[in-house]
Amino acid sequence: MTFRQFALHNVFRNSRLYVAYFLSSMFAVMVFFTFANFAFHPAFQEGDMPSSAMKGMLVAGGIIYVFSFFFVLYSMSAFLQSRKREFGLLMLLGMSSRQVKRMTFIENMIIGIFATTFGIGFGLIFSKVILLIAENVLVIDETLNFYFPTKAILLSLVSFIILFLVISFFVTFVLRTKKLVQLIKSDKQSKGEPKASIFLAILAAILLSVGYGVALYVEGVQVVFALLPVVIVVTIGTYFFFTQLSVFVIRRLKKNKHIFWKKTNMLLFSDLSFRMKDNARTFFMVAIISTVAFSAIGTLFGFQAYLTKGIIEANPYSIIYNSMEDEDVKAKVNDVNKILTEENVKANQEVIESKYYEIGVDYPVLIVTASEYNRLAKLINEDSVDPKENQAIVVEDHHANINNFKNDEKLMETKIPLKDGKEIQAYSTISSAVINEMQAYYIINDNDYKYLPEPVKQSTVAAWVILDATDEKLIEVGEKVSESFIEYNNAFSIDYMVYQIERAYGPILFIGLFIGTVFFVSAGSFLYFRLYSDLDNDQEKFKAITKLGLTNDELKKVISRQTAILFFAPIIVALIHGAVALTALKHFFDYNIVYESVIVLSVFAFIQVVYFFIVRHFYTKQIQKAL
Amino acid sequence: MLQVKKINKVYQGKVPYRALTDIDLDVEKGEFVSIMGPSGSGKTTLLNLIATIDEPTSGDIFIDGENPHLLSRNKLAKFRRQQLGFVFQDFNLLNTLTVEENIVLPLTLDGKRVKDMKEKADMIAKKLGISHIMEKRTYEISGGQAQRVAIARATIHHPKLLLADEPTGNLDSKSSRDVMDMLTHINKQEHTTMLLVTHDAQAASYSDRVIFIRDGRLYSEIHRGDSQKAFFQKIIDTLSLLGGNDNDFSSVRPS
Repeated sequence: MTFRQFALHNVFRNSRLYVAYFLSSMFAVMVFFTFANFAFHPAFQEGDMPSSAMKGMLVAGGIIYVFSFFFVLYSMSAFLQSRKREFGLLMLLGMSSRQVKRMTFIENMIIGIFATTFGIGFGLIFSKVILLIAENVLVIDETLNFYFPTKAILLSLVSFIILFLVISFFVTFVLRTKKLVQLIKSDKQSKGEPKASIFLAILAAILLSVGYGVALYVEGVQVVFALLPVVIVVTIGTYFFFTQLSVFVIRRLKKNKHIFWKKTNMLLFSDLSFRMKDNARTFFMVAIISTVAFSAIGTLFGFQAYLTKGIIEANPYSIIYNSMEDEDVKAKVNDVNKILTEENVKANQEVIESKYYEIGVDYPVLIVTASEYNRLAKLINEDSVDPKENQAIVVEDHHANINNFKNDEKLMETKIPLKDGKEIQAYSTISSAVINEMQAYYIINDNDYKYLPEPVKQSTVAAWVILDATDEKLIEVGEKVSESFIEYNNAFSIDYMVYQIERAYGPILFIGLFIGTVFFVSAGSFLYFRLYSDLDNDQEKFKAITKLGLTNDELKKVISRQTAILFFAPIIVALIHGAVALTALKHFFDYNIVYESVIVLSVFAFIQVVYFFIVRHFYTKQIQKAL
Repeated sequence: MLQVKKINKVYQGKVPYRALTDIDLDVEKGEFVSIMGPSGSGKTTLLNLIATIDEPTSGDIFIDGENPHLLSRNKLAKFRRQQLGFVFQDFNLLNTLTVEENIVLPLTLDGKRVKDMKEKADMIAKKLGISHIMEKRTYEISGGQAQRVAIARATIHHPKLLLADEPTGNLDSKSSRDVMDMLTHINKQEHTTMLLVTHDAQAASYSDRVIFIRDGRLYSEIHRGDSQKAFFQKIIDTLSLLGGNDNDFSSVRPS
């Protein structure tokens, strides 16, 4: 038996011990690979993905890699901790620290290489399955067909071999400066509670409130600049929150004998404090990962809603046409009508003249008469308006106008001079989508219209509302209209446009969902590993306690609470983080995504509850089996 | 061969605890010495200090004229695997390895040639009567066999000093006798110096000399005459003088 054989035997013969470490490493590789697989997908590489989306993918890839690094590091250190006694024994037999390092290095590389290979293998199968599901569920149009991802394989292979190499060097730190006595007796020692300091506790509170404050305060483009600092501040804050707060709470509870000495509480809390260091770290990791998952998915749903719903709200008509200066308006309107006849659909139609005037505001303002406005309003069953003579109604800026100039306030203050010497004064503001105009405009009484000065520009707007047609028909009509107006692109069908957005957005949404799900699932497996690494200890403990007399119900209660704390403490924090992040996002888009946020967050909360019940069931069974 | 000079060991903590006080001990080459004493008397601590598992608070230990506590980490590792052998109460075999692999482990760590290791392992296995279980895994063999494997592992590299901590503690009386016979045999044949920590007067009676420790201090020592039986009786008498906790020795009291 040579030294290398010795190290190999260690891995292969003790597979049960190594399997958890192996599986978590493999899982990390699989996630990264599946992601790289999509990121390098030809559809994205050649396609017309906006550069921001590509940048987003890059950032997401980086996050996954960093996450994998810590995930593997965490699994490895947990794994090495459990083997300290073995190392002590080997060193007693005369293994030099260099040999210990060499041994763990060889072991790590074996596991690393296998984990990488299997991870990529399963990743390939997994991607295919996901793609199949995606094609059937989302509007993707086969753009995400299966391909052999050479680049993704190479990237994953290289990245993870490097990762395992680096992590193998970390072994040195885990085993350094430990006296032999400590190593040999290590399985009886608690890792203890992290140091609690008032300074750090206050720091945690400050960091979190500053992070939240900034996230909720900033608006518009500022959100982008605030993003990174806020993420860093909140992450550090969360870390201290868990390490400090959990220590604080449990110490307080242990001091209070009325609570601590009451029934099974003693078991629960003593156990929590015994594993405080591990628990705090797990809580932190899970909270951060889940936050990323919530925010990613929430963002994507919000963004999609912003795009599609925003457009639908802004364009209540089936087809709308805006004339260009040199166009033959009648012919163009006829073109549309011809298409409608060809497709055999009925539609109501209105045509109005929109005229823009220079009235001393920094843009030419649209002024329409009440009768023209009401004609359009009637077409889509909106309320009609009735401004009196010399009075005007201001229609607010369109909410999609990100610049937030608040032109409506300006228009309220401005008076429109008429040719007969009178002035029109605005008296009220309404919000309306009847005319698709980005900036605020006036509606005036028909009688005032003729006294207006010469318009600086004018165009004809024609609008159609198609009656009783299927979605497919609407999209077909829309496609024809778009083709026919390809020169200026000045007529479009809202249904066709939404369809196109959904088609372009489908893959992005899908990948976002995928990443979010993966993060969420890995948060779950973190908890699972945490719980099961303590299984042996728990079995011993409960065996001892049942001998003293612990009913089955009491046992279940203790396990249930223990698991509940583990599962819900980090998730609640993540939900709060996620809610704040989505609120910040709302400020960025200036579009209300409360509905989408609530849906996403409650779906996750629900899944977590289900997950909790499943894990609790099996864990209780495992414990009971040992009794 | 082994010189222990004015060893003190204090465990630091909230209440510092003095485990050993001014221990002096000389062991000749090829001598077989037992250390006895009640629970908490510091005998295992003393063995751990000699085994370089733990460090003394003050005082020196010389093994063949060399103080292992002054060696660098790497030299210490080499020193352990070449000069020392260990036998424990709970065997401490590696369950990932077969019996044979466990035996050759010290040589493997030293980077010996596979052929040499194989030869030595076969030889020692024959001597200890474990040739037929060489391919077995550690969980497939009995306690007595496991301790023999541990002895094989502790002696395959012909250590100068063999340290044994309660080697019979987990064994039945027959296995205990076998193990002690084996240790005596190795002691006589290979002239390996041996230091044994034990509760078991029967086991201690195999040695040349028994040293008694109480409350971290040397209490007395007795030498073996010609008869092992008389020596056993002498040990029992000293133990009852030593007092401590009566229960410690109840199981070995002759009825």
